[in-house]
Amino acid sequence: MPALIDQIEPLKQAALAQFQAAEDMAALDQARSQFLGAHGQFTALMKQLGALPKEEKPAAGKQINQAKGELEAALAARRSELELAAVLPKDPTDFTLPGRRRGLGCSHPLTQVIEDIVRSFRKLGFVVADGPEIEDDYHCFDALNTPADHPARDTQDTFYLDHPTPRLLLRTHTSSVQIRVMEKQAPPIRIIVPGRVYRRDNADATHNPTFQQIEGLYVDRGVTVGDLKGTVEFVFRELLGADTRIRFRPHYFSYTEPSFEIDFANATVRKMGKAWLEIAGCGMVHPQVFVNVGYDPEQWTGWAFGFGIERIAMLRYGVNDIRLFYENDQRFLRQF
Amino acid sequence: MKITLQWLRRYVDFNGTPEDLAERLTMLGLEVEGVQRTGAEFDGVVVAQVITRDPHPNADKLSVCRVNDGQGERIIVCGAHNFQAGDKVPLILPGHALPARRGEPPYTIKVGKIRGIESHGMMCSPSELGLSGDAEGLLILPPTAPVGQPFAEFLGRSGQDVVFDLEVTPNRPDLNSVIGIAREISAATGQPLRLPETTLAEDPDSRAADGVAVRIEDPDLCPRYTARLIRGVKIGPSPDWLRRLLELVGLRSISNVVDVTNFVMLETGQPLHAFDYRLISRAAGEAGQEGLPTIVVRRARPGEKIATLDGQERSLTTDMLLIADEQRAIALAGVMGGLNSEINDRTADVLLESAYFKPTSIRRTSKLLDLRSDASYRYERGADIGIADWASRRAAQLILETAGGRLASGVVDAYPRPAAPRHVSVRFARTDALLGIPIPAAEQVGHLRRLGLEPMAAGGSETTPEAAGIATVQIPSFRVDLKEEVDLIEEIGRLHGVDRIPATPPRGALGAHPHDAVHDDLAAARRLLCGLGLSETQGQTLISDALAARVLPPEEAGSIVRLGNPLSSDMNVLRPSLTAGLLDALRRNINRQESDLALFEIGRVFRLREAAPADERHLGLALTGRRHQPFWSGADRSQTLDLYDLKGILEEFLDLFGVRGYSYARRAGAHPLFLESAQIVQGKQVLGEIGQLLPAAARQLDLRDAVLVAELSMDLLLARRNASKQFRPLPAFPSVRRDVAMVAPESLTHEAALGAIRKARPTHLEAVELFDVFRGGQVPAGHKSMAYALTYRHPERTLTDAEVNAIHEKLVASLKQDLPVQVREG
Repeated sequence: MPALIDQIEPLKQAALAQFQAAEDMAALDQARSQFLGAHGQFTALMKQLGALPKEEKPAAGKQINQAKGELEAALAARRSELELAAVLPKDPTDFTLPGRRRGLGCSHPLTQVIEDIVRSFRKLGFVVADGPEIEDDYHCFDALNTPADHPARDTQDTFYLDHPTPRLLLRTHTSSVQIRVMEKQAPPIRIIVPGRVYRRDNADATHNPTFQQIEGLYVDRGVTVGDLKGTVEFVFRELLGADTRIRFRPHYFSYTEPSFEIDFANATVRKMGKAWLEIAGCGMVHPQVFVNVGYDPEQWTGWAFGFGIERIAMLRYGVNDIRLFYENDQRFLRQF
Repeated sequence: MKITLQWLRRYVDFNGTPEDLAERLTMLGLEVEGVQRTGAEFDGVVVAQVITRDPHPNADKLSVCRVNDGQGERIIVCGAHNFQAGDKVPLILPGHALPARRGEPPYTIKVGKIRGIESHGMMCSPSELGLSGDAEGLLILPPTAPVGQPFAEFLGRSGQDVVFDLEVTPNRPDLNSVIGIAREISAATGQPLRLPETTLAEDPDSRAADGVAVRIEDPDLCPRYTARLIRGVKIGPSPDWLRRLLELVGLRSISNVVDVTNFVMLETGQPLHAFDYRLISRAAGEAGQEGLPTIVVRRARPGEKIATLDGQERSLTTDMLLIADEQRAIALAGVMGGLNSEINDRTADVLLESAYFKPTSIRRTSKLLDLRSDASYRYERGADIGIADWASRRAAQLILETAGGRLASGVVDAYPRPAAPRHVSVRFARTDALLGIPIPAAEQVGHLRRLGLEPMAAGGSETTPEAAGIATVQIPSFRVDLKEEVDLIEEIGRLHGVDRIPATPPRGALGAHPHDAVHDDLAAARRLLCGLGLSETQGQTLISDALAARVLPPEEAGSIVRLGNPLSSDMNVLRPSLTAGLLDALRRNINRQESDLALFEIGRVFRLREAAPADERHLGLALTGRRHQPFWSGADRSQTLDLYDLKGILEEFLDLFGVRGYSYARRAGAHPLFLESAQIVQGKQVLGEIGQLLPAAARQLDLRDAVLVAELSMDLLLARRNASKQFRPLPAFPSVRRDVAMVAPESLTHEAALGAIRKARPTHLEAVELFDVFRGGQVPAGHKSMAYALTYRHPERTLTDAEVNAIHEKLVASLKQDLPVQVREG
């Protein structure tokens, strides 16, 4: 029989081989008890240590402890390996396969544009106001200084309800809300009004009988054309990009005086091969409108402007047909 | 309104390019919508002579011609038939383009084979050249036309011109005239305005007043009517300059006299009409004598009719103003002349009308008859009552020039109550306050003067307007738009230049409006629904009555709000619900192979309430198709959505939005839209409805899978929303769960079971969760097993098993007593 010290290394090697060969936990446990259990071979070897001559003890003891340490480490390592192998899925995950998605919905592009506009105006102290879509001639036209024989009152352009008295119509612009608000509230006023409006146009790529506008109204003491320009420039730069230039052109609306059309220019407009693109109408509230709502035009001045939501959305996203906004094709809605 | 640069230059100088002018006009408020250079349009078109004309060997309708273009001969294949060898025609050479038609790109002529024979150019018809005339055949030129001469030169059109297309706003009728625009340029640039001289060679032997009488019966509608008489004219084509000018601005040349009236209308803005004087009947004179031919301006009589120049017979109402003689109507005043008094080839004597009609009357007539003309367009916006005679003189002068004749001296000018001049004042400080910049008083006065608004001395005192701080100006008759101070302020601002008003940073009061918070509530609702996987739609407000009726119970069909003047039957009512539009969106998507859909809309719907149209904000939800997003594995991947999916979405939404305490009341009986449905109720208030579409209704919309729909009153949800949040301390002690499974008849609802649990008031019960409903197996037919998990927790200590068991057993005993159930122990 070889000396004790010479048995250590072969027994260690045999144990390591068995640990490595164990394919599952049971096999590994068995190997462990075969060598390191109470009746294991390695344990037996350790028991023999006491029987060694005193001078041989330290060297053999050191070697045997070292070997035991190695075996325990190997055992733990193999155990971790086997544990991991046991929980690994049979089919490894293919990280290139599509995941299981939870769909979020999208808000409508017109809603998104309205929210952006509202956000810009709110930075300036505006609040959102609202008014009825079914209106009467007074609020939609007369009070806005649009007399009965004005071209804008053509029945060609206005939808009337089948409702004889009072004669009711679908508002043709959000400007009617100016009147509704001023009738109820004393100045100062600082509102924006997004909403649906209606014109009796046949639907085509640029017309839909239903469309949406946003109206702005600011009434206070000492409001000037300069204020109008300042606000409009701020909002349109936020909306259309910092490179946007704004131009005011004299124009005519019956409820503002002076009146202007607003043109803008930026990279988008240049790409369309144009210098300027019309975007909105505006002006100083006509004194007659103030009189109609009981404001004193000598004390109060103000401005109003309005523009189409779809037009902004079409420019911003490059949408080429207004009807797409109302068809609600999912492939369209999910692009925004 | 179209004008040309050369025409404009007759009245005012402008130093600068046409583009400069366009920019200047645009910034004055006269938006230039188009600038087109002319003169180059006949590039590559020459006078050519046909040498031979032979039939095309391969085509019956074509001929092969040898044509001399002045340089040499070329072969042209031609489809026209109205010419022969020897004729002179316009020929366009290859590589050149015909004038573009409206909305089309220019067409460039190329050398090409036509039925096997190469053609080197094209002989042109008038319409191909953009000239008025016959489209059928070639334009045959007179034999004197020099072969090889550029066609533009032959027409005398070698001078280039620029046509501006202007958008004139309805408040500025004075700008519907070349002189009006020239006046505007003169005001902006300071260049003087040059008006044509109207010195008239009048026939001293005849007086207009001896040849015609004018009787205005309705001076309210016609405050002024002038008539001139020109005898012995020769009706014929207009001279080239006149024809060309009219054609350039889009009018058809008719005859010299008619063209002159149109020219002067464009020049001055004053519509004119020429009658054949001999076709106007005479009044009965005194003592059997024949009276004068008389123009009577009166309202139409009941049932009266007139045949207008366009050949239509028009039935008139008594609101409509007529020009008549003593016997019959001869023109629809200010709108269109009558056939019976029209200028014709045999006309020798012309009666020239220049009048002023009230805008409202003309507008009403034109609208009622659906008849619009250049004249009615100008009258309904407001003509210049002051220019009526000047325009008449101008037209008489040009008629004499172009058609000859003798002008009876004087004019019959019926103007019973000449309009008093109007005066408007402007305070210079007010201008500054409104525009937001100080403009010195002298500068403001200067702007007014340039516009022909001369400030008057204030009450004869020595004070200048500048010193007084206020200017009072007399408004010229052509500026019908200037009515009050703010109108003058606008004029000052316009001439000063809007671009010179600096933008001031936003400042001032904070706004306030009750809707502001509602706007945010609606945005919150949209965000939640998007987060729940639904996409927002925006449907048409206007839908068809058929679709509207489909989504309403029959007894509610009467509440639909109808349009009085719909465009079509597709859009003749206001939507009574959002479901209609959502179903339409589902259908549209399915037809485009998009079959898994989860949509919502928040929007207004309209119903008659007590016979008055009322609107209400609604929330609509619609789902169909697969429950899960596409995935490549799993047994449940192709499951389709059912009512519990929609209900789950709705419940999650209402919880997060802050609406509580609602329940569902199943609808008994048949519903026109739903297979199964329930009302969502809170107290006595119905918040909305949820249901599954009848399969038949779904099939009508091409929908195959179950279609799940809910619609709620958003206004009610907003009113009942409680979005306030309150922190509750997190529980510090563990909870204990106990289950109870009950076999219950099908008729027992979850709500009833919950009610019974609540009624038993088990202490420390924290939550109840239904975790299984099972049918079949050992559960008898007509029954179901419902399994609930009950969670017990004490806020201040850990509950013992014994405590929980005691509470739970008491609950089970109570359930056994209160519900028709068997509790499955264990």
